[in-house]
Amino acid sequence: MNANAEEMDLRERLDLMQKMINEGRRKQESWGWTFVLWGIAYYIAFFWAWLGSFPIAWPITMGAGGVLTFIGFSRRQYRVPETTIGRAIASIWIATGSSMFILFDAMGFGLHLAEPRAFFAAASAMIGLANAACSLTLKWKAEFLCAIVWWAAAVIACFTSLVTTVVAFLVAIFLCQIVFGAYMMVLESRQRRQVASHA
Amino acid sequence: MPELPELNPVIHGKLRLALLSLLAGVEEAEFTWLRAKTGSTDGNLGAQLMKLEESGYVAVEKKFVQRKPQTIYRMTEAGREALQEYVQALRQLLGAAI
Repeated sequence: MNANAEEMDLRERLDLMQKMINEGRRKQESWGWTFVLWGIAYYIAFFWAWLGSFPIAWPITMGAGGVLTFIGFSRRQYRVPETTIGRAIASIWIATGSSMFILFDAMGFGLHLAEPRAFFAAASAMIGLANAACSLTLKWKAEFLCAIVWWAAAVIACFTSLVTTVVAFLVAIFLCQIVFGAYMMVLESRQRRQVASHA
Repeated sequence: MPELPELNPVIHGKLRLALLSLLAGVEEAEFTWLRAKTGSTDGNLGAQLMKLEESGYVAVEKKFVQRKPQTIYRMTEAGREALQEYVQALRQLLGAAI
């Protein structure tokens, strides 16, 4: 083997290592479908509530979202290995989802949503918190932009009319759940193709 | 002229290098996950993992989950050190080649 071919072979090995290490670490991207699913779930819940079934729309839609998420994870072809970062990210979303489910059910049934804008402000702030925590853990700037959008929606809910609050909430869902989730899915499929062509 | 380092032959094999790199990023991994990520056949993958195990670079654990057998691999401390040394040697060699 001449020196050039040998150098190319060594570089190829370094490249292979980097790709494989990234593949092991890849975690949040593989959750892109859950972002899209929950984005659509929020829209369904919102419009169902708007049609007049507020007390049941959110709990039922969120419960169905939880069941679909569970089915989606159990249908995966192979078990995703655990990493410390992966566990941290999962913990953030499970804790946020549980807190939202408990708080908003209690707000809906107990307070009958005397001030709906408080509901939107709390929901936006909590989703923003989860996005920010994940982006800081993963050092992923794109996700921090989502956190900023959610926090902006939370502030808007406190200072503007209900109509403006609702519009801001829907825009945040579209950008940070559906568009960002689709972006993660594209990233994941691109990474899969790269690894498959390398292994 | 400084002496160029030798590359660890156990790690240098492409599939073994891919396996160690995969295991470096996770706490532990199942055989089926490693097979999916490397696109390797069962026989070849098993043989390469056995070489890594014999060298003390990976540890294996066999267990049953819901009555199904599972083979779990994790990187040992020796494996981590060997991979780090391999990367350093690779970088030195590439530095010398430029």
